[in-house]
Amino acid sequence: MRHGKALVGLLNNPVVPSIIEYAPDLVEYIDVIPDRLWYDFEHGEAVGGRFHRVVGAIEELKQCSNGRVLGGHGIGLSLPSAIPLDMAMVAEVASLAKELNFEWYSEHLSMFLVSHGSVPNSQAGLGLPVTYDEESFNIISGKLEVLKRSLACDLLLENGAVFTPVPDTDFSEPEFLNRLYSELNCGTLLDLHNLYVGLLNGVLSPREYLEQLNPDCVREIHLAGGDELAGFYTDSHSGLTPRDVWSWAYEFAPRFKNLRAVVFEFHESYFEKLGLNGIAAELERMHELAETVASGAQMHVN
Amino acid sequence: MLIEFQQALADLVAAPEFCRQIRANPCQLRQRYNLSHREYDRIVAMVNHKGMALNCMLYRANRLAPLALNLPRFCRAMGPRLGPLLSEYSVLHPNTRVHFYLECERFGRFVQGKISAGYDVEPRVKAIFEEEFSKIKLGLFATYAAI
Repeated sequence: MRHGKALVGLLNNPVVPSIIEYAPDLVEYIDVIPDRLWYDFEHGEAVGGRFHRVVGAIEELKQCSNGRVLGGHGIGLSLPSAIPLDMAMVAEVASLAKELNFEWYSEHLSMFLVSHGSVPNSQAGLGLPVTYDEESFNIISGKLEVLKRSLACDLLLENGAVFTPVPDTDFSEPEFLNRLYSELNCGTLLDLHNLYVGLLNGVLSPREYLEQLNPDCVREIHLAGGDELAGFYTDSHSGLTPRDVWSWAYEFAPRFKNLRAVVFEFHESYFEKLGLNGIAAELERMHELAETVASGAQMHVN
Repeated sequence: MLIEFQQALADLVAAPEFCRQIRANPCQLRQRYNLSHREYDRIVAMVNHKGMALNCMLYRANRLAPLALNLPRFCRAMGPRLGPLLSEYSVLHPNTRVHFYLECERFGRFVQGKISAGYDVEPRVKAIFEEEFSKIKLGLFATYAAI
């Protein structure tokens, strides 16, 4: 049974409050990146501990959240990394989840942290691909159990933008996500634009991917636009959603009976390029999608 | 070992020169990392994949982002000399500090150290650097105060 119309929203960034002010009825949901609400002093040597919150950011979010649903969308925990979970960060995420009343919490199915770093939050510089095998599954599932106990809300994992997939794996990415769902009830945050990135760079077939993915997994969809860099296409969050991505959304989303939110991601540095009207039009289009999905109809993009 | 495989991958995206070395002589991987046969084959295939060039570009762009944001005039004033300086810094500090001011302060100390050791910088560029580095230290101090 379907949950009703999926919420339409934005990935939080410093310009989201101005969009909410401009078009309050169009934004029902905000994906909050906890890592952007704090300064991480890594060793905790700073007076007051390792995490210092960004002054005013949480208060502003609380104002924006009035009448809206918030979810957490983390970057820093790097669940696939073969190193222990950063428990200090988990505690900080849990504290924010409680304070901001996250309905659910998502992380990326990408590897950001490495073992030889000199500090707990030592970043690889970009999200790296995961080896889809039994060992990775056990690492991720163990960390998800800890996270579930700490956050007490539903957990999702997002497919990343992959440029060099790990070859010769035991599972495909959708098979891995299906297993996380069936064995751990961990949902999927399906980033359709990341599938588009994979298509244009010749590393995956979105249609095959979407046919393999258990539709019941999908709780949230991300839409976005990117641009070209040296002959590659990147997930730069610099533009509006491409036509092919809309097309997959209309074709496949009606199958996602557990879909709770559809979110547009853009980076604030492209706000001037996109414009308030451009973002509002994108949100209106997302409402049309959510209504079509809720009605059970399928529609093709012309 | 998966932990070694992941470290090898992170080391490769951080260093295009290392990628070139491994393409030419993949056996080096075995000397540096404890990899199973399967992991070794995977890494060799990945380093030869055309997307590895993009991984390396994105790594570099992500390293540059906080510096371009907080030292914009210095980055512009350095012109073509910025690239080699950033490469040297990335080799010295391959992992990013997520707190942008900490990352920029570390880079600032690196530049300051080089200037003290005789790295030749025009007085105009040095003045820009000192002004922007002072602002970073102030910004960092302010984030210490936020709890």
